[in-house]
Amino acid sequence: MADLASFTRFARTYQAGEIIFSEYEPGDSFYLIQSGKVRIAKIVGDIEKTIDVLQPPEIFGEMAILEGTPRSATAVAVDTVRVLEFNRANFEVLMMGNPQIALRLLKLFTKRIYDQKRRFMILTLEDPQARVADVFLMLAETQAAATAGAEQDGEKREFKVTIEDVAHWAGMGASEVQTILGHFANQRRVELYPDRVMVRNISDFSRFVNSRRKK
Amino acid sequence: MPKAANYRANSVIYFQGDVVSDKIYILQSGQVVVNYTDIETGKDLREVIQTGEFFGVKSALGKYPREENAAVVSDSQVLIFTVPEFEQFVSANTRIILKMLRVFSNQLRRIHKQVENLMEKQEALSPEIGLFRTGEYYLKNRMYSQAKYVFSRYLTYYPAGKLADAASKNLETAETCMVKYGDGKGPSPSVAGIPAGAQPQPSAASAPAKPSDTLRPPSGQALSDTAKEYYNAVSLFSQEKYKEALGEFKRIVEANQDPEYVVKAAYDMGRSVFMLGQYDAAIAHFTRMVQTYPKHPDLADILYYLGQSYSKKGDAERAKGFFRKILTMEKDEDNSTYLRAKKALRGLEEAQNG
Repeated sequence: MADLASFTRFARTYQAGEIIFSEYEPGDSFYLIQSGKVRIAKIVGDIEKTIDVLQPPEIFGEMAILEGTPRSATAVAVDTVRVLEFNRANFEVLMMGNPQIALRLLKLFTKRIYDQKRRFMILTLEDPQARVADVFLMLAETQAAATAGAEQDGEKREFKVTIEDVAHWAGMGASEVQTILGHFANQRRVELYPDRVMVRNISDFSRFVNSRRKK
Repeated sequence: MPKAANYRANSVIYFQGDVVSDKIYILQSGQVVVNYTDIETGKDLREVIQTGEFFGVKSALGKYPREENAAVVSDSQVLIFTVPEFEQFVSANTRIILKMLRVFSNQLRRIHKQVENLMEKQEALSPEIGLFRTGEYYLKNRMYSQAKYVFSRYLTYYPAGKLADAASKNLETAETCMVKYGDGKGPSPSVAGIPAGAQPQPSAASAPAKPSDTLRPPSGQALSDTAKEYYNAVSLFSQEKYKEALGEFKRIVEANQDPEYVVKAAYDMGRSVFMLGQYDAAIAHFTRMVQTYPKHPDLADILYYLGQSYSKKGDAERAKGFFRKILTMEKDEDNSTYLRAKKALRGLEEAQNG
């Protein structure tokens, strides 16, 4: 990694448990982790859900590039955390001196653009069942990318998601998603477990979603 | 080293949907256009690549299938980079990365806005109330330092907000508790909540509530206990633990708490009995159901299980009667019950003819 010694004036330190930013807070900076771990969490209903735990040299809070959008999650220091804080004012200086960071950010943006496009595709489905099925297709695509080349167990796919996760992606209420998943379970298309959902035949879901998508 | 390549007019460098997307291109001479479908309007759009411009960057860096066709209009020469070659090249030319960052962040902003517009109809928690709620959560869970942070941020952003009073009270509570008990300790603090009128209230029902409604939890995200029990049972069923599932469905039916789930559980009791191979009991159960709930939403499925039960018992004629009934009832020919009934009927007919 590039030498970041000259950027100490942009460095911030947080103690364990300290909030770096809170969900819903407006924000205009994003962060590069230099040391320590950062937990990204969201409060869903009455539970604080950990979405991710990040380590150096990961970037978080990059959606701040979208002016005026509130933070979509809370970032909390797990242990003593050192970060570099980027904002509009110092962005160019930091990036010019650190092509590796700029490249990392570029990759993150390509991923975010794809995620958002995929999300848009889900939300434009009118049939609620197709929407729920498409969430699993999206998750399958992301898993495939992450485990490229790994052996897949036929058409079966397992997802470590909760009803609330699916509801969030589908832009629907948890109870509606619950009903639809119950319906899929009745049709023996999925198996429901407390911490995961198993889709018995991912191609069946794919055919179903495609038949519902307007041409 | 990036490789130079020549493409003839009317050839295609890559297609939309190509899964192998690990190359990045620069147009050196000639003419290339990229065609793609706009996800919002469904229109086909066309973009001319300028000489010296990169294309194929996003899908290569993001490791996802190509989203556009790159078509050659007139004989062209391109430079082909692998991802590591591209990274090496742009690292020495940070200006290029910055330019791309600007383009990508504009695209991200645009697509994000489109998603937001769709979500708006579905989720409507304002940032102000959301921030307050986040603080509430931390305070309730005695995470005082986090609560302090969030409420003080609330007061910074919304000093005259409608929840400012409650937020200062909560901030004070968090500070006091922190000193008195320490983070994560002490009794559950009392939390100043969101006053009525500060958030949109569900419109009052015009008709007087039926007595049975008062027993139900307020409508919304939370599931009733019966619903939770029901989905636990469905989960057992989906794990092929039919005996346990049957016991659970039976309990829900007998407790007779939430009519919606009692009806569902009654149906699933029958399915469990069927899966356990007790076809006489399944026939008796489903026959009773047809009489009790002639308009049951799963009526077609009930008839299907009746047909299957008779079929398993070797009574093909009665089984066919049920399957035919489903085919006359269901209008949607893509409906899974319709398809299953059709298949079962054909199976029986072929068995008899052949």
